[in-house]
Parts: sequence; C-alpha cells; structure tokens
Amino acid sequence: MTPAIEMKGITKYFASTHVRANEQVDFSVERGEIHALVGENGAGKTTLMNILYGLIKPDAGEILIDSQNVRIDNPDDAIRHGIGMVHQHFKLVSSFTVAENILLGMEPQQAGFLDQQKENELVDQLAKRYNLPVNPAARIRDLPVSMQQRVEILKVLERNAKILVLDEPTAVLTPQEVNELITVIRKLSEQGYTIIFITHKLIEVMSVADRVSVMRGGKMIGTKKVSETSIPELARMMVGREVLLRVKKEERPRGDVVLDVKDISISDVNGLAAISHVSFQVHKGEIVGIAGVSGNGQTELVEAIAGMNSLDGGEFLFKGKSINDASVGERRDMGMAHIPEDRMVVGLNLQTTLDENLIVSRYDHSEFSRYGFLLMKAISEFAERVVRAFSIAAARPGEGISMLSGGNLQKVVVGRELAGDPTFIIANQPTRGLDVGSIEFVHKTLVEERDKGAGVLLVSVELDEVMALSDRILVLYRGTIQGELDAATATEEEVGILMAGGTLEDLQRQPEGSSQEVK
Amino acid sequence: MNDPRVRKVLDAILVPLLAVLSGLVVMGILILFLKKPLFESYAILFSNGFGCKEYGNCIFITTLERATPLILTGLSAVVAFRSGMFSIGQEGQYLLGAAAAAWLGYAIHLPPVLHALVLMTGAILVGAAYGWIPGVLRVKLGVNELLATIMLNSIAALIVEYLVQFPMRADTSAVAHSPVIDTSAQLMSFLPGSKWGVGFVIAVLAVIGVYLYLWRTKSGYEQRMAGQSKRFALFGGIHSDQAAIRAMLISGALAGLAGAIEVMGVHRRIMTGFSVGLGFDGLTSAILGQVHPFGVFIVAILFSGLKLGAQLGLQLNLDIPRELGGTIIGFIILFVAAGKLYEENIARAREWSARKRGNPMKGESH
Repeated sequence: MTPAIEMKGITKYFASTHVRANEQVDFSVERGEIHALVGENGAGKTTLMNILYGLIKPDAGEILIDSQNVRIDNPDDAIRHGIGMVHQHFKLVSSFTVAENILLGMEPQQAGFLDQQKENELVDQLAKRYNLPVNPAARIRDLPVSMQQRVEILKVLERNAKILVLDEPTAVLTPQEVNELITVIRKLSEQGYTIIFITHKLIEVMSVADRVSVMRGGKMIGTKKVSETSIPELARMMVGREVLLRVKKEERPRGDVVLDVKDISISDVNGLAAISHVSFQVHKGEIVGIAGVSGNGQTELVEAIAGMNSLDGGEFLFKGKSINDASVGERRDMGMAHIPEDRMVVGLNLQTTLDENLIVSRYDHSEFSRYGFLLMKAISEFAERVVRAFSIAAARPGEGISMLSGGNLQKVVVGRELAGDPTFIIANQPTRGLDVGSIEFVHKTLVEERDKGAGVLLVSVELDEVMALSDRILVLYRGTIQGELDAATATEEEVGILMAGGTLEDLQRQPEGSSQEVK
Repeated sequence: MNDPRVRKVLDAILVPLLAVLSGLVVMGILILFLKKPLFESYAILFSNGFGCKEYGNCIFITTLERATPLILTGLSAVVAFRSGMFSIGQEGQYLLGAAAAAWLGYAIHLPPVLHALVLMTGAILVGAAYGWIPGVLRVKLGVNELLATIMLNSIAALIVEYLVQFPMRADTSAVAHSPVIDTSAQLMSFLPGSKWGVGFVIAVLAVIGVYLYLWRTKSGYEQRMAGQSKRFALFGGIHSDQAAIRAMLISGALAGLAGAIEVMGVHRRIMTGFSVGLGFDGLTSAILGQVHPFGVFIVAILFSGLKLGAQLGLQLNLDIPRELGGTIIGFIILFVAAGKLYEENIARAREWSARKRGNPMKGESH
C-alpha cells in the first residue's frame, strides 16, 4: 500500500518561546486507514498537523502526498491537495445557518444573489450522501456541540477532502456523542477516506484506530498497529515511564461529616430548576464521586457549594455550621478548596503572572498582605514553594502562565487549591483534557488528600474516573440523585443505567439487554 | 536581552517609538506637499516642543505644565481600564472638579496651605462622586459604563457652562468667568513667568501612587483581577462589584484633582470654554501609554510637546496651519493603534535573528 501522506524530517523551532515543537519527525499515513496521533499536551501533535494543513511553516522537512513532493504554504494549498481539518475549537459563524456555513465562500449564486433554497438542497444532498443528517436551515448557535462538529466535518467533505484531520474531536463531546462520532469515522473510512485522529484518550484509540503514532517532546516515538499494542504500552510511550492507569487506593475508615447538603434546590442562569431537592453528605477521609452526563446540574451544584451561586432552597452545613450566607472567601477560609471545571476562564487568570494566580484565594491572609499592602517577597516565596511541591516544571514565579500546557495549568490550579491543606475539596472534572501523565498526577494527589483526612467531592463525566477514585458514587440525573452506590461493589452497568435515568431494578428486569424503556 | 523582563519593557517602549517615527515620516510627506522646508520643520517641531531657547527660557517647561492635567486624567483612565471599567468620563469629572475648586477658591477664605488642600479635597470628592454614578449604574443595573460616561460628560459640560455664565460669573465681561481664587489657594510655580509648579509634583506623586496602588496593594490586586476576569475573581472570592465601584471612585477622584490643579496652578479661575478636551487627551495618553502609569507619564509629556511643537511651533515659524499639527498627532495615534503590526514584525525579526545566530538546522527544503 502506498502511503496517502508522508511527512519526512519535519522540524519546527519556535524562537519566541524557545520550544522545539517538532524535531526530525517522520509520519506516514496509509490510504483509507484511521490513524490515531497521540501524545501528551505539548508533545507537538498539533504543530505537526498545523504544518500539514499549511498553518505553520516548518524550518525543515518535506511533505509527500501520494508519493508526490508537495509544498503546502497555506490552508488553501492543503485543501487543494485534499486535506481537510476539523479544529478542536470550531471555526463556524454562529449566527449563520448550517448550509451557509458549509457553503461559505462557494455559495450557489444567481446574478450575485444568494439562493437560500438551493443552498439548503445542496447541503441536504451532501448530508444524505454521507449519512450525516443535519438541518440545513438551523442556526449554528442553536445547535449542540456534537452537531456543530458534524457541520465542520460536512464542510470539509464538501471541499473534496480525502484526508481528514480531526484535532481532539472527542474533547468536547459526551460519552454518547463520542460513540456517534466513532461510528461516523468508521463509516467514512469504509468509504475510502483517510482519517488522522488526534487525541490523548487511549481508550478511544483502541476502539477506533487501525494504527497509532505516539509523539513525545516534539519527537516521533513510534507507530504501532492497534491490534498489536495495549493501553499500558501506549501510555508508557507517551510519558516515557511506567504510568499507573489506575491509582492504588487502600481502604480507610471515614471520619466525621464535613459537608452536609440538606434538601437543596438551585436554578440555572435561565431560571430553570437545575438541582431539585438534593441531599447527601461527604465525610472526612472519603471520596464521593458524582457521576452523570454533563448538563445534569453538576455545574450549578458545585458552584453553589463553593459559594459562587445562590440557593433557591435548602441548606449547606460545613463542619456543622450553616454556610448559606458565607461568601466564597469565608468558605475558603473555613478549609474549602475548589478545582473548577473550566481552568482557562474560572480557575486561572491567564492574563497575569503565576504568583498572582496562586494567591487569589489567600491574598488577604496576614501571610501575604499587611496594612493593605501585598507582601511581594512572601508571595514569590510561596509561588516557588508551590512550583517545587507540585513539580510544575514549566512555570516560573513572576512570569505569565498563558504559554503553559493544559496539564501544567491544571497543576497550577491543583497546587494552589491544595497548598492550604484543605479539609474539603471539590474537584469538578479535574482531568478534563489532560494527558495520561497529568491524569495520574491529579488522581494520585486527590487520593493522597483523602488519605490525609480531607473529604473530596469528585464530579466527573468520565465513568472510569468516578469508578476508580470514589469510595461512594452518587449519580446525578436531571438535577436529582438517581441513586447511590458503594464504589467497591458497583459495576459500570449499574452506574451507566442510573446515568441514563433508569433504576437498578431496570437492570435486573432486562436480562436480554433490551433497553427500550431507558431513555 | 534574553531576560524576559527587560524584553517586556523594551517591547513596551519600542512599539510607541516606532509609531511616533512612522507619524513623523508621514508628517514629512505632508510638509513636502506644502512645499515647506522639511528639515527645518523637524527642527522646529522638536525645539518648540522639547527644547530651550536660552538659559532659563525653556519651552520644555511649558510642555511639562501642559502635561500635568494629562498625566492625571490619563491615570484616571488607567485605574478604570485596569479594573475592567471602560470609563471615558474623565472629561466630565475633570470639569466638575475644576468648578468645585474654583468656587471653593473665592467663596471661602482660609490660610495658605490649608486653603489649597481644601480646594483639592473638594475637587477630589466631587470627581469621585461623579465617577461613582456610572459605577453604581453598571454594578446595580448593568448600564454600559461607556455610554453612561459619554452622557455624563455632556451633562457636566453644560452644568459647568451654566455655573460660569450665571451663579459663579464675576463680572459682565464678554467672556464669562468666575472670580479669581484667593492667593492662599493658588499653587506655587517654580519659575517666574511659567506656570509649571507644585501641580506637576503632585502629578508625579500620583503616578507613583497609582502604580503602587494597582500592583502592590490588596485593593489594587482585587481590581485588576476583577478587571481581567470576572469569573476568576468570583471563583477566588474577590467582590468584583465593590472593586468596580472603588475603581470608579478613584478614577473620578484623579480626574477631579486634575481639574483642581488646572484651576489652582494655571488659570486661577474657571471660564467659559474651560474644557479643551483635556480629559480626552488624557484618555489617549492612557491608551498610548499601554494603560500603565509610567507609560502615561511619558506619553503625556510627549503628547504635550508634540502639540506645542506641531500645532504652535510650526504655525508661528513656518506658517504651517495648526490643523496639520493635529493631523500628525492623529497619525501617530493611528499608528500606535495599529501596534499589532509592529509587534508581529518585531517578533519576526527576532525569530530571524535567532535563526541566523546559529541553530544550524538543515536549510529549507521546499
């Protein structure tokens, strides 16, 4: 078989950040295969693909398409050579319709006027041809993320791409949507399309790809057939050492109740009920996992506990005291820590320095300010301490953090939140978008905190994560607790059926596995 | 050169410098069109903005005097912008501050230093109060502070015009003006025949004060964090509403103080047409000065000098219309606004030189 794409000796050095993003990278993809490209954040995957797509000019190296040496200076060249890219952050016009987005720049015209009906027909045909149903007249801003992604894929197909590059396509999807996407990818590959799939979720690699290439630190470590490799091997290639995919956790006796949630109700930004009449407790020395498909009230629950949101009813008792009227700062001073789900906008301020990010929850403590003035020396010493304790290699006290990779940013958040020895930690999607090495770090840290006696509320849409870390599992469905399970005995099926809104009895009633009653 | 801090400062200075140079090139072209002597124009521009004619008679002193209110209104904008409030209400706060100082200057009589302090305090309070209005409107009702301050500027201008025309009017002369303030309330100047004096010292102290406040105090930290990311502030336990209102109070106070100093040190009274757009020039200084107190200080002086040289100097010496001077200043602002262009080219130049200096990679093999 001749390779569809060959990249040889690709080298790219970013002088402004002193990063050797790609170093003598060789990469080849065969026609019609699904090729996964994996690596930790900052391994150079996206740089390599941006070079292929003409967004970045390499310092050295060559690109061959169908064994022809080609020059790709910009995305137009790439499209002409049949390469299409679906970016991690979609590039759609949100106020335009689906058809307008797909046909952007190639609209059918009649004497200079747009023919909307014809546009919609064209897109309809396109969608039918690839069996990717969309509503051509819907506006992008009204569509869920998975549908927007489908529009991106159709847009690329309409431009006659034969080689599709998908940059972390599953990062923004729910588990169900991931399965749908995988089906789409398989279908396209059967139709002869070549697919390059960037990810750092190894489970997805195993379930969808034919071959996988691993990058680390700007270098290509190797390419394997998926049938001849395993998750631990790939993890080792990615990180460069043995990785604990499942942290070791010993039984611990749990302590007193640290957070008592009593019959709370919360509404979302639109005033609709997001959480209704939820009660549960978190003890010291235990990890309570909240499982559930995203959008079932997790964000509102977490923000209400942290004090960022107000309650419609009910009460929070923290260490026995009501904290309904306590501000965010007061709750933090009582020993609450919060790892938020969105580290880019909520958990960190990317426009300022590491130091100022690290003191946000404690700048008014006597340790860091006196008579209204910040104690700059104490603050930078603290920053150095956190950097060392959590080995945030790339971060330097006094400097900005916007250049850091996702894993390092999350280390900054985790480091800040755990530096004050909290007694209660809310961890909301603490490993979203992280690579295996960083996931291991976060998991280990959370278990360590539990062992030291802190209560942990882990909110995650990743079933594996909840199963691996929790002592008890609560399943959140449409703003209520659908069920509680002991993590030691719970099975994935049990958690799954509760996540889908079913009950444990449903599981026993349907031995044949028909799941029609379950939404 | 490789120290990132040094580089940051260099970058901050390099961009406005290149913008000014580009503006001067455009000025040269315009002057050639008018068939005026090119090099003489440049010489006059600089000598009339920043030079000295003879010992003790420096135009640069006038430049510093003119820069004083710009520095203060510029700082006012810096405090607001850094706290996420896009307030352009400096003009209105400046005018009301000036009116308050003028009134306190002739209506009450106190011993020297004390009288001056009372004037400044009064102007600061009035300015702060006038800044508080858009702050509260923003926080409580979500009214866009940009629109609110535009409206409040017009209201202030009309109020001051009324005050000067009627209740505060000193006499029936053609140009309405208030009575001259008491000597006890006037600010001392350093040189006879000039009005450059204590006011400038106050402005310099304010530059340092604003810098320390924003970057070295708890309140300043709260304001900057709330300004950069409201969600982050909420998450960390910072009350961004309080920070926003505080920012508007301080911003108003600084602009009000600028008005007081202009009355006490320069005009000694307030008259019709007191507003000559100083608030807006301060705003421009803040933006050109990278929204940093030190940047404002430098830009305000540069700006005043260019105005003197380009508008007055060229007109008096070479008969070049003052509008051309204004055009040159406009071009410089335009070039600074296009700063991204320079930043990209600087980055490209650095990358190129880094590659030249030796990273012996294989040549491009396209």
